[in-house]
Amino acid sequence: MSAASLSYPGAAAPERSRWLDSFGLRLRVHEWGDPEATPVVLIHGMFDHARTFDVLAPLLAEHYRVVAMDARGHGDSDWAESYPWIVDVFAIVQLLRSNGRPSHLVGHSKGGGQSVDAAVRAPDDVLRLVDIDGFGPPPEGFRPDGDGVPQRTQPEILGDFFDWRRHASDRRGWRTYPTLDELAKRRRQQNPRLSLEWLRYFTEHGAKETNDGFTWKSDPHTVRGYGPWRPEWIGPGWAPLRVPLLALTGTEPDTWGPIPEEVIEERLAHVAHVERARVDGTGHFVHLEKPVETARVLLDWLGDGR
Amino acid sequence: MRTRPIRAGRHHIALHHLREAPGVPLLLLHGLGGSSVDWDVRPEAWPGPVFAMDFPGHGESAWLAGGGYYPELLASDADVALASIGGGFVAGAGVGAWVALLLAGTRPDEAAGALLLPGPGLHGLPTPDVDDAARGSDAALASFEGSRDAPRGTDPMVAMLEKDVRPIDYATAFAARARRVVLTSSPEPAPPWWAAIRSLATVDQTAAAARDAVSLAAAVFRPAELPTDAPRG
Repeated sequence: MSAASLSYPGAAAPERSRWLDSFGLRLRVHEWGDPEATPVVLIHGMFDHARTFDVLAPLLAEHYRVVAMDARGHGDSDWAESYPWIVDVFAIVQLLRSNGRPSHLVGHSKGGGQSVDAAVRAPDDVLRLVDIDGFGPPPEGFRPDGDGVPQRTQPEILGDFFDWRRHASDRRGWRTYPTLDELAKRRRQQNPRLSLEWLRYFTEHGAKETNDGFTWKSDPHTVRGYGPWRPEWIGPGWAPLRVPLLALTGTEPDTWGPIPEEVIEERLAHVAHVERARVDGTGHFVHLEKPVETARVLLDWLGDGR
Repeated sequence: MRTRPIRAGRHHIALHHLREAPGVPLLLLHGLGGSSVDWDVRPEAWPGPVFAMDFPGHGESAWLAGGGYYPELLASDADVALASIGGGFVAGAGVGAWVALLLAGTRPDEAAGALLLPGPGLHGLPTPDVDDAARGSDAALASFEGSRDAPRGTDPMVAMLEKDVRPIDYATAFAARARRVVLTSSPEPAPPWWAAIRSLATVDQTAAAARDAVSLAAAVFRPAELPTDAPRG
C-alpha cells in the first residue's frame, strides 16, 4: 500500500525501527524516546499491532525508551507456520534481552498474559510488569457468539482443527473491503467507543491494499493454535512470578470481557506482589480508549524512569 | 522406495513408500528427533502397502517457519498423510505413539487401529511445568536458537515437543474414541497417560514379541483377516 498518510491528535510515528530475529522470523520493533533511558516494552493483543501504541508510546517516551513489537503474524512481522503460545512468550524474552538492560514490560490482552509468562521465565530482565486485561478466558471459554453452543469433546475439537489444516493452504485470507474507511468501520464493531478518526489512523498501519481492496495484514492462521490447555492452569502458572505486577482493567462490558471479577481475583491470588488499577469508562481496550489516563496510571506504577 | 512431498498447512512433509502392495495401508510415525530411516523393519511382513512419514522439522520434511512444534500440529500432518493413502493402520514410537493416539481418537473412521511403541518423546508432561518456568527459559532458548541454519537434519526447536502437556483425561478421551489401540510394553515407569489408558476397553496390550514394528503390527492387527474395503476412509 502507499505510505501511511493519516494523522491523529497526539499520535506520533516511531522515531526508530529495527528487526528482531526470532527462530528464523523477522519481527518488527519500533521505538520512541531517549535510547539511553530505561526501556518500557509494549506488547499488543490478538489482531492488533505495534502502531496501535502511537498515542500511548509518546506519552511514556517523555520518561522512557519505549519499545513496541509486532507479534509473530501481526503487523509487519513475518508469518509463522504455527502459533503456539510459548513461542510468542520466547519472542518477548528475546525482545527484552535485545534491549541490553532490564526493562519494564506492559502487555494487553493476549500480550498481557504472555508478558506475565515471559516475566515468570525471565525475572532478571523485567523491572515492573503491567497486564492490561489479559487474564485469560472465563472458565467456560470466550463465547462471543452467544450461549447455547454445545460443549465439544477434545477429539471433536481436534477434528475441527484437522479439517481446517487439511485445507489451510488454499483457504482465502481475510475478507477485503473497498476502502480503508470500510475496514475501520469493521473494526469499530469491536471498538464502539473509539472515534472513526482514531480507528482510521491505526487501522491504516494494520492494513494492506490488495487487488481486491483493503484487508488486515495479520495472518489468518494466528487464531488456530491448539493443545490441551485449560483456563484453570493460568493462576498456578503465575505462582513463581517474582516481578511486581499491576493488573489494569476497564470498567465497561466489552466483546472480550471483562471476565468475572472473582475469576480475576482467583487467578491473581497466586501472584505474590500484585496491585489492581482501573481506568473508568473503558472496556477491554483500556489504552486505546483512554491513552492519556492509561499513561498516567502506568507512569504512577513505573515511576518517572530516570 | 519412493518418497513424495505432501502439502500440509503451508509446508511440505516427506512421505516414504516402504512397500508397494495391494491391501490395507500401514503408516509409521517415528520418535522425537528421529526420522523414517530409524525404522529397522521388514515391510514385507505387512500384507499391504507400508508408508513412513517424516514429521516436520525431522528427516526430509521442512522445518516450520518460526519453529512452533506441538503434537497436535504433528498429528494434523499425519492426518493429511493418512488421508492421502486412503486410511489404514498407524504405528508410532515415542512422540509418534502420542501422535498415533491423537490421530486414532480423532479419526476413528480412517484410522483402523494404532500400535503404540516406546521411544523418544513418549513422556511429555502431565501438567504445565511450573518449576521449569520458574527456573527460566535460558537453557531452552539457547538450545532452540542453536544452529537453525542447518539445511537438513533435525530442527533444534522440536525439543519443544518434550515440554508439551499430556493430561490423563486428555489421553483417555482420545483412547476411548479410537477404534482400537494396542500398547506394547513400555519403559518403566510408564508415562501417566500411558498407564491411564491401559484399562480402557478399546486398549489392548501385547508382549511386543515381534522383532520389528511392522511384524508386530501385522501380528496384532491381522489385517489379512479384515475385509479389503474395511478402513479406507
